[in-house]
Amino acid sequence: MKLNTAMKVNRITDEVWEIPVTEKSGMLVPARIYGTESILRAMDTGVFEQVTNVACLPGIRRYALCMPDGHWGYGFPIGGVAAFDLRSGIISPGGVGYDVNCGMRLIRTDLTLAEVQPRLEQLMTELFRRVPAGVGASGFVSMDRPSFDRVMIKGARWCIEQGYGWHRDLERMEQGGCLPGADPSKVSDHAVGRGMNQLGTLGSGNHYLEVQVVSNDRIFDRDTAAAFGINGQDQIVVMVHCGSRGFGHQVASDYLKVFEKAMRRYGITVKDQQLACAPFLSEEGQDYFGAMNCAANAAFANRQVITHQIREAFAAVFGRSGEELGMELVYDVAHNIAKVERYPEGELVVHRKGATRAFGPGSQDLPACYRSVGQPVICGGSMETGSYLLVGTQRATDDTFGSTMHGSGRTMSRTQAKKSIRGEQLQQQMKQRGILVKAVSMSGLAEEAGFAYKNISEVVESVQRAGITKKVAELRPIGNIKG
Amino acid sequence: MPASFQFLEDVALADLAFDAEGDSVQEVFEAASNAVMEAMADPKTVGATWERRMEHVESDLAALLFEWLSDFVYWKDAAGVVFSRASISLIRESGQWTLAGTLIGEPVNQATQVLRNDVKGVTKHLYRLHQDNNGRWRVRVVLDV
Repeated sequence: MKLNTAMKVNRITDEVWEIPVTEKSGMLVPARIYGTESILRAMDTGVFEQVTNVACLPGIRRYALCMPDGHWGYGFPIGGVAAFDLRSGIISPGGVGYDVNCGMRLIRTDLTLAEVQPRLEQLMTELFRRVPAGVGASGFVSMDRPSFDRVMIKGARWCIEQGYGWHRDLERMEQGGCLPGADPSKVSDHAVGRGMNQLGTLGSGNHYLEVQVVSNDRIFDRDTAAAFGINGQDQIVVMVHCGSRGFGHQVASDYLKVFEKAMRRYGITVKDQQLACAPFLSEEGQDYFGAMNCAANAAFANRQVITHQIREAFAAVFGRSGEELGMELVYDVAHNIAKVERYPEGELVVHRKGATRAFGPGSQDLPACYRSVGQPVICGGSMETGSYLLVGTQRATDDTFGSTMHGSGRTMSRTQAKKSIRGEQLQQQMKQRGILVKAVSMSGLAEEAGFAYKNISEVVESVQRAGITKKVAELRPIGNIKG
Repeated sequence: MPASFQFLEDVALADLAFDAEGDSVQEVFEAASNAVMEAMADPKTVGATWERRMEHVESDLAALLFEWLSDFVYWKDAAGVVFSRASISLIRESGQWTLAGTLIGEPVNQATQVLRNDVKGVTKHLYRLHQDNNGRWRVRVVLDV
């Protein structure tokens, strides 16, 4: 098997591959990569190098993991999952990602394609007007420092208190949309300066707001879909992908600098400077954790304000309130985060970077409405090919620290994609295929062309066969907003 | 040879990488500044109604450029602006470099500006500022978008 690495990669199953500790000096545990053989063959060199670098970090338990949508990232690969002992292990901004709590949110509706199609242009225009996107966009929520401190501490709960959403929304978010332990005193003024005006904004890059349709023939698990509020009768749903914007990025950048110095003090060496880390229980580690939780809460709040605006846009177009349109939250889940979770080894600091929590049925961390079926997992594909709603499994809890894939994963650089197609041309092609796109930047649109990504269906099939998530429904795009 | 920059096709799949070069430290700093401005918006479509001056002092040139390029990202978010030009003055004294810079631009306007990437940060990945054997200054930068 020809791979983009000279390292020995052993087949564990058809969807699980292992690099033994003998392949790199300093590896404390083996590295495991999820994916079919063809996905593995297509993986870039960076994945193999980076997942084995992660396997060298102090206090790591069991395996350094990479999901099938993995590709090169800063420090950890995108798709990387690693769990560290609470007492002897580390925390690393490179294992969380710069966009702290970048995540996915899915909102259901009672509307059907037949009802929405005639007003799709109007709906997308209204959404584009109400949800700022792109370079330097500011949100409509005016904010001062004390208010932003409350956002950092309360997350989505702050939004509900201000009237941006419904109390029951909170039940359907990872950790109720509010991570404990947020400490605004550990966040720099620089980070606050970048974040204060951005609440309720999408950003750019691969972030988007998408109106999607769920057809009857694309439901794979009818009972679970029903539990998630998905009936599949050409039902309209709305997906949001964004995170903590410049705020989270600044938090990560600030603490990478802190950790570069701290590592010398603690005698920690890393294979890549972007894996800079500190012992979790050290002063620096706890400071970062407090600041990271602030950024994570700001991201939950960001997606909540966007949800409010989406409901307002639908209400304006269809003349019925969000409640009358059945616009309930299906779920909100982070895919760039570090959290303390309990496993047979004890309490572990689980890093997920471009990987989604995927707890199975029975988990006490799930809301009562999903406890019997498992956690919704929202996976965004490219804007041309569609997305998936999956459900977590016990196998994920057992094998991957309750984690699975997050999206499709890029295979082509942005610069290359832009050379292959113009944004206007792509917009026209997508319109002909029934997908209406509103974009702030045409070059940014070209960078997100479907051919720049892996085939999400193949990635989804591989996690299904590995047993770490199950398919519930496929979501087909009909409208997309990009920065 | 004039100072220049070019975006790279095969580096940093999900982000945006560029190489910048010039015959002097001043030139490579200017070329890298132009690349960051171009990554965010077409400077030709951006006015000059907003201005900020700043100063950085560093002993390490690479750290100085990193700080300077990060200023573009900070002000883009904090003031909601994009940039049409930047001016730089570099002085070396007693082993320390002082950069006095001015960023010039205007508030984001989707109707009049050609906007590109919402750059989230300058990263240390592959980041290297050096003078090659021919005396040409070069830097590789990966921007997180």
